[in-house]
Amino acid sequence: MTQTGPSPVTALSEAAKVGTKMLTGSQLLNSLRDADVQIATTAKDLVWTQDKVSLFHYRPLVEKRVHVPVLICYGLVGRWTMTDLQEDRSLVRNLLNLGLDLYVVDWGNPSRADRYLTLDDYILGYLDCVVTEISRRAGVPKINVLGVCEGGVFATAFTALEPDRVNTLILTITPIDFHADTVDNRLGHGFINIWTRSLSGEDIDRLIDANGNLPGEFLGAIFNQMSPVRSLLKYNLDLLEIADDEQRLLNWLRMEKWIADRPDHPGEAAKQWMKDLYQQNKLVRNEWELDGRRIDLRNIRMPVLNVYAKDDHIIPPATSRALGPMVGTTDYTELALPGGHVGVFVGGRSQALFAPAVSSFVEQHDRTPD
Amino acid sequence: MNPFDYSKAVTDFWTAQGQALVKAQEQAGQALAQGMKAVTSGQFPMIPNIPTDLSGGAADLANAGKSMMELWSAATAACSKLATSIPGTAGVDSVVEATFRKIVDPRSWMAGTGELDDVLGRMAEGPRFADLWEAERRYAGVLHAWMNLRRRHLEHNAVVLQAWLQAARRFSEQIAERSGAHANGIDAKAALALWTESANQELLETQRSEPFLQTQAAMIRATTALRMAQQELVEHFGKQYGFPTRTELDDVHRTVTELRRELRAMRRERREVAPAPAAPANGRQTAQSSRRTAPRKKGPQT
Repeated sequence: MTQTGPSPVTALSEAAKVGTKMLTGSQLLNSLRDADVQIATTAKDLVWTQDKVSLFHYRPLVEKRVHVPVLICYGLVGRWTMTDLQEDRSLVRNLLNLGLDLYVVDWGNPSRADRYLTLDDYILGYLDCVVTEISRRAGVPKINVLGVCEGGVFATAFTALEPDRVNTLILTITPIDFHADTVDNRLGHGFINIWTRSLSGEDIDRLIDANGNLPGEFLGAIFNQMSPVRSLLKYNLDLLEIADDEQRLLNWLRMEKWIADRPDHPGEAAKQWMKDLYQQNKLVRNEWELDGRRIDLRNIRMPVLNVYAKDDHIIPPATSRALGPMVGTTDYTELALPGGHVGVFVGGRSQALFAPAVSSFVEQHDRTPD
Repeated sequence: MNPFDYSKAVTDFWTAQGQALVKAQEQAGQALAQGMKAVTSGQFPMIPNIPTDLSGGAADLANAGKSMMELWSAATAACSKLATSIPGTAGVDSVVEATFRKIVDPRSWMAGTGELDDVLGRMAEGPRFADLWEAERRYAGVLHAWMNLRRRHLEHNAVVLQAWLQAARRFSEQIAERSGAHANGIDAKAALALWTESANQELLETQRSEPFLQTQAAMIRATTALRMAQQELVEHFGKQYGFPTRTELDDVHRTVTELRRELRAMRRERREVAPAPAAPANGRQTAQSSRRTAPRKKGPQT
């Protein structure tokens, strides 16, 4: 193999540049404190709590253009703060600027004491209460529910069981057919589906019984398995690339802060999530039951906007798009956004499309209070 | 993980890169010598055969360890060859080069893909109670579970390491082709990009394979078995000394959850019987305050 090196002058010049970059980066990192890295800063008020669950109402940024409020419902994997990561990468802020009336539910930090909470509790208990409270405050019988990922499943299940209380259903990167990862079968996509199916139901029961909950750290490790080599470069080359640019470094740190905030998933709810849905795929088969009530997707008769990411390796598009033929409405719209699972919320191209589409959809189906 | 935890690691890394600049010539010489030795000793290091069904084929921990050692030797030899694949440089490329050398080191391979193993280990191993030696049966159970976990760990790591070796072989072939096409060889950035692509492809394919999924599932089973054996041991002593046990706490938590569930259901029934008048409200409203005000006025039923 023929190999050549740089000239001494070039080498020294490049070395000096890197040295300067490292020095600036080190100084910048050392000067930053946790308080400098804030996420989810859009102004909001706590309007309701129960146990560890909190409901926040965002303060308007412009005059409201709709009567029916929108509830953002994230899941128990990760936290809703992704929807308001920073001022210029915020679905929340974009929706407020378009005149929507916005709420968000935070499930809190489940501990071992919450291991017996089920998805029945979250969907027909807490979410039910949250919808009731928003309806009461807004003086409307129905609200718009915007579900994200696992929260999208919560929204779907609630809507199918309580269709008279939901004005429109908006889903984002939401799995419906948990076995549809095999449709496109792209390398590196749908690993969680494959991984969960590689376990037996007994494996999952014992994993939860031994640990109480599904630890957030464990979930993080599973996610990291999906990009094995990137993880090796993240904290050296990738970080060095941005180290001397304060703005880019802060953006990176905000994302790291969101990634680090990964609550434990309550144990019994995790069993249902992994066994009933990922393994047995009961939702799309209309076989899933909560509190003894069967969830029939044909009961979703209100307008539906289903948003998915074209390159989502966590929730492959086909798993989301499976909803279309299942719902009981013809007013069903799909929106394919560029980017991956997180890029939907923070990607430049996606942001330009996402909030306007949601706003337009909500406005189109708005109704005055009875 | 707190982002500020990275700063020390990053500083350490960059310091190491600075030292690497100073020692660049020395390292290049060593790398060249090692590379020549590897090349003159034969072809690209062969990957030892390992059982196709690891869960059934690896009879005990020793066998698993032996397989792992063989793979490890091959990986170390592969690393020596890979490390000579790019020229020594300076500046930005020197950082890339150093990163490249670091990530073709088998130790970083296992660190990069062993996060789940580490998490499982921490989840399982927990506190140690070496002084509670009396409960021999329970201790034997814990020891057995621990040995089984180590064995499953080795079996899984063998699958992962084999994937890295395949990636190294693929990379070596590709870099040889490209070097032949370019008179000046391939620079550090191109080598890193090629390595990233090769390794990612190989690992993602491996993650979908039955050996990977089977050995990882076996590792998870072994982890939970160890955790449960430890819990049984601790509960044995907890009962003897009157300490509350995990099982007792779980009972309490289950009861509290069920009571809250019943309370929510009762509130819902009451709300459905006498629906609250819809009225816009301002300010903070909590379930706690609702409970206080519910008997006195009609309002939100939470």
